[in-house]
Amino acid sequence: MTVTDAPVRAVAKPPRKVPRKPRPAPGSRKLSPLRLLGSVIVWAFTAGNVLVLYWLLTASFKTPVEIFTKPFALPYQWFHLGKPFRNFIYAWNNAGFGDAVLTTVVLVGLATVATVAVSAPCAYALTRLGVRGSGPMTNAVAIGMGVPFQTVIIPLFVTMSKAHLDNEYGLFLLYVALSIPFTVFLLTGFFRSLPDELEEAASLDGASPTRTFFSVMLPLARGGLITALTLNAIGLWNETLLAIVFLKDQAHFTLSRALFTFYGAASYQSEYGGLIAGVAIVVLPMLVLYLVLARRIITGLTLGAGK
Amino acid sequence: MATVTTTAARDRGARAAGAAHLRRKRRLFWPFAAPALVLYLAFLVLPTLATVVLSFTSWAGAGDTPKPNGVTNYTQMWASDSFQYAFRNTLVYVFLGGVGTFALAFLFTMVLRDMRGGKVVRAILFFPNIVAPVALGMFLGFVFKYQPGKQGLANYVLEHVGADAAKFLAPANVTGVVTASLIWASSGFYITILMAAVDRIPPYLYEDAELGGASPWQKFRNITLPMTWDVVGVAGVLWTINALKIFELVFVLAGPGTYAPPNQAWTLGVYVFDRTFGSNGTPDFGAACACAVAMIALVSILVVLLRRLMRRDAIQF
Repeated sequence: MTVTDAPVRAVAKPPRKVPRKPRPAPGSRKLSPLRLLGSVIVWAFTAGNVLVLYWLLTASFKTPVEIFTKPFALPYQWFHLGKPFRNFIYAWNNAGFGDAVLTTVVLVGLATVATVAVSAPCAYALTRLGVRGSGPMTNAVAIGMGVPFQTVIIPLFVTMSKAHLDNEYGLFLLYVALSIPFTVFLLTGFFRSLPDELEEAASLDGASPTRTFFSVMLPLARGGLITALTLNAIGLWNETLLAIVFLKDQAHFTLSRALFTFYGAASYQSEYGGLIAGVAIVVLPMLVLYLVLARRIITGLTLGAGK
Repeated sequence: MATVTTTAARDRGARAAGAAHLRRKRRLFWPFAAPALVLYLAFLVLPTLATVVLSFTSWAGAGDTPKPNGVTNYTQMWASDSFQYAFRNTLVYVFLGGVGTFALAFLFTMVLRDMRGGKVVRAILFFPNIVAPVALGMFLGFVFKYQPGKQGLANYVLEHVGADAAKFLAPANVTGVVTASLIWASSGFYITILMAAVDRIPPYLYEDAELGGASPWQKFRNITLPMTWDVVGVAGVLWTINALKIFELVFVLAGPGTYAPPNQAWTLGVYVFDRTFGSNGTPDFGAACACAVAMIALVSILVVLLRRLMRRDAIQF
């Protein structure tokens, strides 16, 4: 019997590390065709992504000739000439990334925090307060999430130009307002999945509803909040359409907006190395943010309600 | 088994909690919900209504005044080639791209849970999602570049294995290339969402199944799918919405970048942008609004259908 086998085998290996997950039973380790196919696809896909990242990183240090004739080789020419960062310097100076980095960091940071601060109470109110009509209201907000920015851009553009808000302040307002449906929708999912017992226990202990929200429900939804912050930060960092429409002053361009303009200019001059360096400048900070936060997102989610 | 609470049982529990407390809770509703709802109304609902009204007017744009012209915008739009291309491409991205992305995501949830290095794989797969669509479009433009002597990555590989280089970005092929790119770029996001939900499933359910000798497919069918059904529904809605408003990726990948790509590559999003701020001809805000309304109609229909299809009692665990 497999069940009696398992503990014996585990004891048979003396220098045994404490397993993080319980060792799977022997039955599950048998090779099924589906598992094999899945593993092959998973690893091929993963290897493809790593290759893409490698290509992006090396190409940003290459001359155009090297990019197209030796795509998988390590960069040589610029290092040989002693100016390894030539492409990055070119992109930085010609795309106006210096100003754009500051604008983007401040704008995205403030807008993300403001969005979650406004959306979390709303999501809680819609899911947990037992108010009649919250279901349809949640649906109404969810449909709002599906409103493509292209739909609202014309009236907003006309009105906000009249109010002299076609600048980074207007963009901040837009970013917060347009992120609300997605954030509320995401957070209602989290609040809804939390167990009722903890909230009931808090109210039996005499906590007011406000206190229950801040001291019990908000910490429980921490995983959801971090996810909302991260996804919004990534989304807004990458947002281009609204920035194209609402930012006129090159000194206050966001990174993606600056990259969009730079693309047109640098394509004409076949400045491929500089273009890829520009892509790298926009992509790498997000990669770092994600690498730092990936574990927190996943542990935050798995913590759940402490089960 | 953890407490599996149905909606009905939750209602019963709430009633037991006491009417006075419930009243205090309900008083909290407006202070909590109002700020978000007001912003939502001001920046999304009202502008959407304005777009609907404007779609029935002829309006060249700033400097002109909107004049009512009935459904002329809609009939003209429906008859135009550019709209038909845009409409068809958008449907291709939503359905074909969706099937591909979710097939991949489900396969990965089956394999990744008990695979060594699964967390690293997930982090790597998410990578294209942190890339701005503009940057992704530029990058894929290099990958699929066709220019003898200066071939992009894809054609470089094709030529080195002895095949002919393909004009990936020719107007006739670009929809397929964008669909494949979309599946590649988005699957990581949906894998992450679904795996986060899978991680919350109590491990003993899988242990039970493993002791019973269940195959990965059986575990997926009988544990993973039912326990993550809500999240799958959310992911499906998110996909529909994101695929429907796709704009920057196509704009940059299919076109020269700063002005609109060829008509065959258009999406509804590109159509609106081109009619509003495009460099092809004069702006036509009325026509742009009509296409925007078509986008809204399409997204509402698809989301409502999907939510109805996925409806089920919530499971708490």
